[in-house]
Amino acid sequence: MEISGRVSKGSRMDQIYIPKNRSGLAIGSYVVIKPVIEPKFGDKPCLYNLQYLEPIKLEIIKRVMGLIDDYVENVIITGSFLNKGFNFGDLDVLLITNERVNGLNIENKLYSDLGIKTHLIIINSKSFVGGLESDPLFEMMLSRCVSKKRLILNPKRKIDYRLLDLHLLKSKALIDNFDVLSGDEKYYLTRNMIAIALFLQNKKIGVDIVDKKITRIFGLKSIGLIKKNTLNKSDFLSQYKKEYNNLFNKILGGIQNGAKQE
Amino acid sequence: MVQNRNKLIELFVGNIANAVLHKVLESAIQDEGLSDYYKKEQTTSRNIAITYREKINPVDANLPEKDVKYIREKVKKKVYAELMLRISKGYKGINLDLMDKYLEELLIETRII
Repeated sequence: MEISGRVSKGSRMDQIYIPKNRSGLAIGSYVVIKPVIEPKFGDKPCLYNLQYLEPIKLEIIKRVMGLIDDYVENVIITGSFLNKGFNFGDLDVLLITNERVNGLNIENKLYSDLGIKTHLIIINSKSFVGGLESDPLFEMMLSRCVSKKRLILNPKRKIDYRLLDLHLLKSKALIDNFDVLSGDEKYYLTRNMIAIALFLQNKKIGVDIVDKKITRIFGLKSIGLIKKNTLNKSDFLSQYKKEYNNLFNKILGGIQNGAKQE
Repeated sequence: MVQNRNKLIELFVGNIANAVLHKVLESAIQDEGLSDYYKKEQTTSRNIAITYREKINPVDANLPEKDVKYIREKVKKKVYAELMLRISKGYKGINLDLMDKYLEELLIETRII
């Protein structure tokens, strides 16, 4: 049996009145009192660059947002969960907060309530803005997302060549390991490289924009050819190496120029 | 695809070197606020290195001393060259001492030692 009541002020002690006509909770029985925290399912989240989202996913997102406490400044859902269909790994949740938050507790809470594995990224608002300004992958991650509160995504870009070097290094793996990588891995590494290139050219970054750029650069009929791992190895790899080396040289040049100016 | 042991070791070396280099450069950046985001996933190189390791015999035991010595030297040489290239261009904040630390960690993780 469950009864909700309101704490009222008393002269010596405060109390909670419950109806006399009830089944259960007999006089003398011990009870637990705990606050009612209603998940805010009613709040309408903001969708960015999402043409379609399955209603069930939207419900899940609302529940996630409702379950995360109020002291978090904003909650953003991103990643493969927002792709069409149900072929997602986990739920990427970005929490923006300046408070200390126990991420593991929140992950466990979300898992026990929704049965979905979440990956939490906890970040303070200063780093969030910094990431948007200087990190192409961060920008791409947020190019398609669902946010609890409205986002102002108009960053003034700051180029940090060391950060770009670090990101580009990941894409090197494709050159040496073409045969062992899956289609998804090849796609991820190529997308990473092209997002960095677009960032350096001060162009807009988004999943669709990057996909179009990939198909154009590599002369592909569709992006699905990479994901399905049905590429022509020699053609793709020679173009990839060219792009990678050009980009790497640009970044090294940027590091060198930066060092000279200091 | 059947690959001989030496070829697998070479592929392993290339990926471990890339993973070590990534970790050293990551430490040079030191952006505390974003560190969680960067550490979201292990680098592909590290994951591929593990895949190759699983094909190098002995799979269930550490590698013979001769192989360990070869891998260690080759990885160090590759990483050192990459780091020096960056330092020569004016890249600041690279701690060369971290190379050994991260290499040993990865060699243990991949059961090379």
